[in-house]
Amino acid sequence: MTAQPDHAPGASAGAAELAKLLQRVAEGDTAAFKQFYGRTSAKLFGLILRILIERQEAEDVLQEVYVTVWRKAATFDPARASPITWAATIARNRAIDRLRARPVRAQVPVEAAHDLADEGPPPDAGLVASQDARRVAQALSLLEPRHAAAIRACYFEGVTYDELAERERVPVGTLKSWVRRGLIRMRSQLEGGEA
Amino acid sequence: MSDIPAPDNGLAGMSADEALAMDYALGALDRAQHKAAALRVVGDPDFRARVEQWQSLLAPLDEATAPVSPPENLWAAIAAETATPVPRPTVETAPMVAPSRGWWHNLSLWRALGLGAPVAAALMVALLAAPQPAALPTAPAAGPQLRATLAGSDGKPLLAAAFDPASGEVRFAPVAQSDAGAGKVPELWVIEGSNPPRSLGVIDIASGGAHSIPRDRLAGLKAGSILAISIEPVGGSPTGTPTGPVIATGALSAT
Repeated sequence: MTAQPDHAPGASAGAAELAKLLQRVAEGDTAAFKQFYGRTSAKLFGLILRILIERQEAEDVLQEVYVTVWRKAATFDPARASPITWAATIARNRAIDRLRARPVRAQVPVEAAHDLADEGPPPDAGLVASQDARRVAQALSLLEPRHAAAIRACYFEGVTYDELAERERVPVGTLKSWVRRGLIRMRSQLEGGEA
Repeated sequence: MSDIPAPDNGLAGMSADEALAMDYALGALDRAQHKAAALRVVGDPDFRARVEQWQSLLAPLDEATAPVSPPENLWAAIAAETATPVPRPTVETAPMVAPSRGWWHNLSLWRALGLGAPVAAALMVALLAAPQPAALPTAPAAGPQLRATLAGSDGKPLLAAAFDPASGEVRFAPVAQSDAGAGKVPELWVIEGSNPPRSLGVIDIASGGAHSIPRDRLAGLKAGSILAISIEPVGGSPTGTPTGPVIATGALSAT
């Protein structure tokens, strides 16, 4: 479509192939669907598991996610998102829906043990491979640690502003300011670095 | 519910919409707000574009999450669940219902909406019967009417609705909802600003195209509010917020 060679390093060379697979999935090609699952499911399961912690629930959600991928493959638009971002967005939203549907959220010990101020250097830094990921991790690391940690808690754990404010013992408005200002700084950092 | 936050309440200089798009992409909203924002994404292309920008910006963070192989048997479960072919709208094999524009032939759309053939066909009947909003039955209006064109996720119009404050009724382009199939019914919602969607009840539009809104729920029906239709179990959403696919949304405007 666009003449620009979309070399999104985060999505690697696989993005184009995944997009082709999705196109075949949209046509009802079950073999393509199986391949797409094979290449994306571990990533999506990791994301879901990080939000839900509870394994059985995460498996249920992963199943829902792929049923959704099967049904919605035709709505995938390569001009608007990479295939993996598209699928990951479905996964995150499903996981968050499931998390929010829980009667009480306090019972997950890993989260309760978290203390944003103590989180130290970003755990992301050592793991990331692609250039995009390094740039985002870098932008995040330039923020005040507590603000960066709040952003991570929301994004990776699906924690709400209200919950996080309570955990951090700050007013919700303050917490929102941390996160939103932080994200805006990240954005300008990334946009600036792109030049 | 919650008012739009004051400018100093964490908005960080953003418009409420921009903040909402960011919050939604980040995943920090509570349940009702998250659902409401998800509806906005479906019905409001500008808002969706904002959300997608934040999603792309944040997506590389996903690489910091270690992949975990799902259990072997999960694929079998998924394959089984998707083995039943997605019901295809009957129009696919009925070219004689093809008027000028073919958006309702768009299989992808119907599949995307997750609709079974009967519902799709029912909506189709409506559109064939009254493809123009102008063809809506006009209620004897004692006050200014409000109208909305409800569009699917791709922005193409699906249904036209008109609200008559005098009668407290929402009228649709007549929809022959002969059988919604598989125990599903359409439910109508109204969304004001960033508030969670409020149900206006399960729509029974098989009989004449008018849907009465309970008196105590009329307040939200004003210009600028968004109408949405989701597909729910018979009896309506069990949770009070949309649980099924949102098939159409549109903003009310004064006629």
